[in-house]
Amino acid sequence: MSAPPDSPLSAWVLLRVFLRSLFLQASWNPKGMQNLGLAYALFPALERLYPAGPAREEAVRRHLVFFNTHPYVAAAIVGGVVNHETRISRGEETPDKVVAFKAALMGPLAALGDGFFWLSLKPAAGAVSAALVPLLGVWAVPVFLGLYNCVHVLLRVRLYWLGLTLGDRLVEAVARANLPARGAKLRAVAAVCAGGLAAWLAVNFGANAGGAHAPLLAAGCLALGVASYVLVSRRVPNYVVLYLAAGLACAAGAFL
Amino acid sequence: MSVVWTQVALAGLWGGLVALERKAFLQAMLSRPLVAATVMGGLLNDVASGLAVGLLLELFFLGTANLGAALPENDTLAATGTSAAAATLTTATGAGSTPAIWSLAVLLFIGLGRVGRRGDRLMESYSARLARVALSSAEAGNLTRAMRQNLWGMWPHFVLYGSLTSLCALAGYFVEPLLQALPPAMIRGLAWAWPAMTSVAAAIAAQGSHARRAPLYAALGAAAVTVAVVFVLLQEQR
Repeated sequence: MSAPPDSPLSAWVLLRVFLRSLFLQASWNPKGMQNLGLAYALFPALERLYPAGPAREEAVRRHLVFFNTHPYVAAAIVGGVVNHETRISRGEETPDKVVAFKAALMGPLAALGDGFFWLSLKPAAGAVSAALVPLLGVWAVPVFLGLYNCVHVLLRVRLYWLGLTLGDRLVEAVARANLPARGAKLRAVAAVCAGGLAAWLAVNFGANAGGAHAPLLAAGCLALGVASYVLVSRRVPNYVVLYLAAGLACAAGAFL
Repeated sequence: MSVVWTQVALAGLWGGLVALERKAFLQAMLSRPLVAATVMGGLLNDVASGLAVGLLLELFFLGTANLGAALPENDTLAATGTSAAAATLTTATGAGSTPAIWSLAVLLFIGLGRVGRRGDRLMESYSARLARVALSSAEAGNLTRAMRQNLWGMWPHFVLYGSLTSLCALAGYFVEPLLQALPPAMIRGLAWAWPAMTSVAAAIAAQGSHARRAPLYAALGAAAVTVAVVFVLLQEQR
């Protein structure tokens, strides 16, 4: 990572800020949420930008107020805050700009990050890897980590860089990535893989345990999956459905 | 029954580390059930149990997410605890990993997800105290102390979830007599419960995928796999 051309901060300081941003939620608390993590991440930059004394203390205090966003997408805000703080330290803008920047971005970016990473990429990577377990065995685990992290780490670094270099203009760059549309496709992939795996498990169970009754057992297992889907959709707790299925299967295995 | 204490210690160490990774640091998904449970199995010399438990729990918890201040169930504790118990149960039986062991471990320990959520809530009050200390330190001009508070928030996760995972590993040894006491028909039933529960977990995963037309996509996936498997079986019979 090389520092932006006009930045007074060295590449090492910027790298430290990025690495410390990985601890954003280390002290997540109900009142300030990620406030401690944000101040902790920014501290190496604030140390360089402000001389020890009231100016530095003031800078730290303005980042100890409430802050909460998605932990990956927060990299963009961390970069943007460093960009703003650089200008504040030069006297090019007032401190209220950086406060407004954080307040304006943390909500929308949280929604974007939750929708893409937590509700799309994570289920998709998990379902694809789970579906690969019958084919790859234990190698499905590195596939999962590779699939997920090649997107996660690249986007995290990219967002930090965009924040550092673009400041307020990072919103347009993030919008161009069109994450919501990509997320919808990933969610469909997750559903296809989960359905495929359910079918494979049913057919494999029938083939292994059924003997002459193989098609019947496979169909029964598949029907159990469909019934579970319907029950869970109707708000029956997942645990109840799981224990019910286990009870049925135990009874069938014991008495058939 | 002889307890292998290195297994108990290793389980606690890995359980504690992934508990940190889950929320406090990095979040590169080492704490997802598929990864955490499989590695746990590897560490305790029973990859098969780890992978099987990880697969089921990955599907079961696929749709959970930590959105805003809402706390989801702690899928990581459920995965590390269940896989550790399954692995030590396998060690105690001395007869290798079986679907009956996986089913029993899941049925006994999957509720740890809820225990973990309660633990997460408890630790929030500790973090709130740290935040107050950080604010007062910053007010007093002691910035280094204020910043250090962020890192103090991590050790309770490591200690609490590491200890709970160790206890699960230990419990695996004590469950072994129960498994031995079960009649063969019941053991067969538990073995059948394994694919049934995984199938149900896959259905829950399809529902938790948040896809707009999840039933359609899941049905397409199921149809494609069924056709492919039947085709392969027919080819093999020729």
